[in-house]
Amino acid sequence: MDIVFEIMIIILSALIIGLFFLGLSRKIMARIHWRYGPPIAQPFIDIIKLFSQTSTSHGTLFNLGIIFSLTGSVVVLLFLPLGKMCPLSESGGLLVIIYLMLISPLGLALSAGDAANPNASIGISRKFLLAMGYEVPLLLIFLAVMTYYNTISIAEIVNIQLLTGWSFQHLPLLLSGIAYALILPAIIGFRPFEMIQAPQEIASGPMAEYGGKFLAFTTIQHAFNVFIGISLFTNLFLGGAGNPGYFFLKMLIVFILFLFVNAVTPRFRIEQAIRYLWRWPALLAFVGLIIAVITG
Amino acid sequence: MNLQIILAIAFGGALLTYLASKISEKTRDVIAVVISLSLVVCIAFLYNHPVSYRFNTGFLNFPLILRLNTLSWFFAMTIAIVGSLAVIFSLSYIKEKERTDFYYLMILLVNASMIGIVLSGDLIMFYIFWEIMSWGTFLLISYNRGPALPAGMKYIVMSIAGSVAMLIGMLSLYSRYSTFTIEELSNILSSASNGFVLFIFILFFIAFGIKNAVWPFHTWLPPAHSEAPSPFSAILSGILVRMGMYGFLVIFLVIAGVDLFLNLGKGLISFNYILAWIGAINILIPTFIAMLQNDSKRLLAWHGVGQGGYMVIGIAVGSSLGVAGGIFHIINHTSYIALLFLVVGAIEYRTRGVRDLNSLGGLIKKMPVTFIGALIGACGLIGIPLTNGFVSKWLIYKTLILDNYPFLAFAALLGTWGTILSLFKFLHNIFLGQLPEKYHAIKRAPFSMQLPIITLSMIILIFGILPGIPLKVINEIIMSAGLESLDISLWGITSETGMLNTVNIFAAISVTAIIIWLLFKAGREEIKTGQDDNYAAGFGIPKEKYHYTIEFYNPLNRMISRYLRDFVDDFYQKLAQSIKNLGSGIRRIYAGDIGYYIMYIIMFLALLIFIQINWEIW
Repeated sequence: MDIVFEIMIIILSALIIGLFFLGLSRKIMARIHWRYGPPIAQPFIDIIKLFSQTSTSHGTLFNLGIIFSLTGSVVVLLFLPLGKMCPLSESGGLLVIIYLMLISPLGLALSAGDAANPNASIGISRKFLLAMGYEVPLLLIFLAVMTYYNTISIAEIVNIQLLTGWSFQHLPLLLSGIAYALILPAIIGFRPFEMIQAPQEIASGPMAEYGGKFLAFTTIQHAFNVFIGISLFTNLFLGGAGNPGYFFLKMLIVFILFLFVNAVTPRFRIEQAIRYLWRWPALLAFVGLIIAVITG
Repeated sequence: MNLQIILAIAFGGALLTYLASKISEKTRDVIAVVISLSLVVCIAFLYNHPVSYRFNTGFLNFPLILRLNTLSWFFAMTIAIVGSLAVIFSLSYIKEKERTDFYYLMILLVNASMIGIVLSGDLIMFYIFWEIMSWGTFLLISYNRGPALPAGMKYIVMSIAGSVAMLIGMLSLYSRYSTFTIEELSNILSSASNGFVLFIFILFFIAFGIKNAVWPFHTWLPPAHSEAPSPFSAILSGILVRMGMYGFLVIFLVIAGVDLFLNLGKGLISFNYILAWIGAINILIPTFIAMLQNDSKRLLAWHGVGQGGYMVIGIAVGSSLGVAGGIFHIINHTSYIALLFLVVGAIEYRTRGVRDLNSLGGLIKKMPVTFIGALIGACGLIGIPLTNGFVSKWLIYKTLILDNYPFLAFAALLGTWGTILSLFKFLHNIFLGQLPEKYHAIKRAPFSMQLPIITLSMIILIFGILPGIPLKVINEIIMSAGLESLDISLWGITSETGMLNTVNIFAAISVTAIIIWLLFKAGREEIKTGQDDNYAAGFGIPKEKYHYTIEFYNPLNRMISRYLRDFVDDFYQKLAQSIKNLGSGIRRIYAGDIGYYIMYIIMFLALLIFIQINWEIW
């Protein structure tokens, strides 16, 4: 029963923290723009409200895709250590996480594709291209971490860091960590990598046809996505944490830093984004991996 | 059950089918299906019955050997299953075409010859069956005429080059050891010098590499796969190409043995390390070229090339995990690429031959079963957890990371992203988006097409959730090759450096999905609308124009397409052209006028006299 309890705690805390981050981001953005902004609890209120609103569906895959997408995000959460809690860390490690992280975008893409709206299709096409862009450095980063610690288990990586200090303190992983920081906005969909939604251009892209509970689900999925991106960074480079409170504090600091970047940058075009991602972050990650191989 | 009987059923059945076609089409269809299914049953019964027959009265007094071990059983089983599914699929696919009798004869003959290859225990039999397979394939690739003819020609020219390399390799082995049998060779070759082993390896690498479409010998594959009839494309890409992999396994792991294979050369310039890098190139370039394709079958064909790279890497690394992953990937690839080609075949059948990804769309509403097949096949090819492709790729990645080949691992992982992009384009452009008006009256695929699609989908899922079933057989193969045994349970692999438990992943995903589905149902019920009730910024939906498929990945295409030309193919084309020019240059000497020839003779004599006068050689 212990494990079920842990799973419940992880999912609930990820949900609350993720939505809290979204609320916080709206508030901070508003203050930077000299507006008052909505209350921090606004995303929670929205989700409850959206569940009771009418919505339209374009078919079975339209519904199932959303469910798959959210399932994918939740399952990734179960593989990520949160403090000491990591219910499924024994079932596969970082390699499984890389692949589980595919389910969520694929589910959303299938659902949006079934919506038969070109705005949604353009958004998906951009989403995959952007993913192609940041996966190149991201995979190099993962490989550097796995080579350096010579394990594929993320729980073990966190444990080693608790003994020997943060990954950031070792040279090859310092480079990889900087590379991760450079691509983190792309992973969590912050500006300057906001071209997937781009409300002014393609009517929020994949979101164009979602309303009511569909919108609630995609918002939750987005919250989880933000949580996963930052949690991976914290686990791999900022030493994870012994207790959840400290872990969330680290995540909050990272989030607010990137929020400031988000607030003041414009949007890249997709080619510019790919060119950027394949240049500096990829180069840093590549050098990091080479050093990790030589010294490891 | 005798191995001769199996071969007799396979080859005799092909002829019988041809004769039955003279009676009626119905009889022919029934016999073809019965023959191919009975092969599945016969081979299944032979599991764990290793046998070997020796015929001393064979060809030119060489002993001929038929033998069955776990490796050949594994391949024979795959061949028989894919063959029978393709035959069942053909029943409606090929019905309205011409020369159907010939088609069935050839498809059964090719299957029979592949079974012959894996059952033969000496290189003579191997070579004979290999040639029957190559020529049968040539005839089937060119079956559709038109653009299929040059595709078949390209195939057979490269295939002959491979056969010649194999013949030279066989004869050099024979001239040194005076035997053709695989078992005797495997005992002797370990004492050979490194130079000789390398020579043999390179010859057989060319021979099997061409069939396996390993870069840089891949150029025949994309046109051949896309022009062949779809059920045969499934056999071709699924298992026939992988006969090259079987050849690699036989030459590297059975005849030479793991020790010899891994210790040829040192460090970065050892044979297996270079082979692994060829595998990595083989993953990256074709997978990204696949993304630029607009022809559904050509897109899949390029993936057929790309996925071969994973198998080559797995075997080249030579660890237990790697070889197990490589062999497992062979059958996984068979299951999902055959499935995807059958899906394209069903689409072709219903849309009267449309393969262009830019002119389809929205077919999910009309062909739901085909879509589910396509989705599962695509997930398998990408390697989403709970499909079999994930398990084999996990094994390969794990060995690459733990044995310290991170750059190879990077190439292999990046290939996955190329696969996602191109396969999503495949799914989206055929099944999603707006349904064009001309396809409103389209019907579901007939049952004889749905049956193979459903069967293959089930195989993909079962092997993905319970990978222990095939891995148990594979474990026996790698143990017989002298590698360490793996600790395999029904649901994955245990080892001290991180394990895989697919049942846990399955449980996590299914429970979460059910809970989320319940939550979804708990919300206010959605209203169902069609594709004409969409957001269009306040305007009516423009018919036929509200669909985004053409140039799906245009921004990336513009960036990378100029680096992604198939340079190897260009090189071969130039080579072929310059040989042609050389030929026509030489032809000009033979002008056909007797006066010229007399002049040549006189000039030659004059030259001889001149040489003799000056240097007095003779």
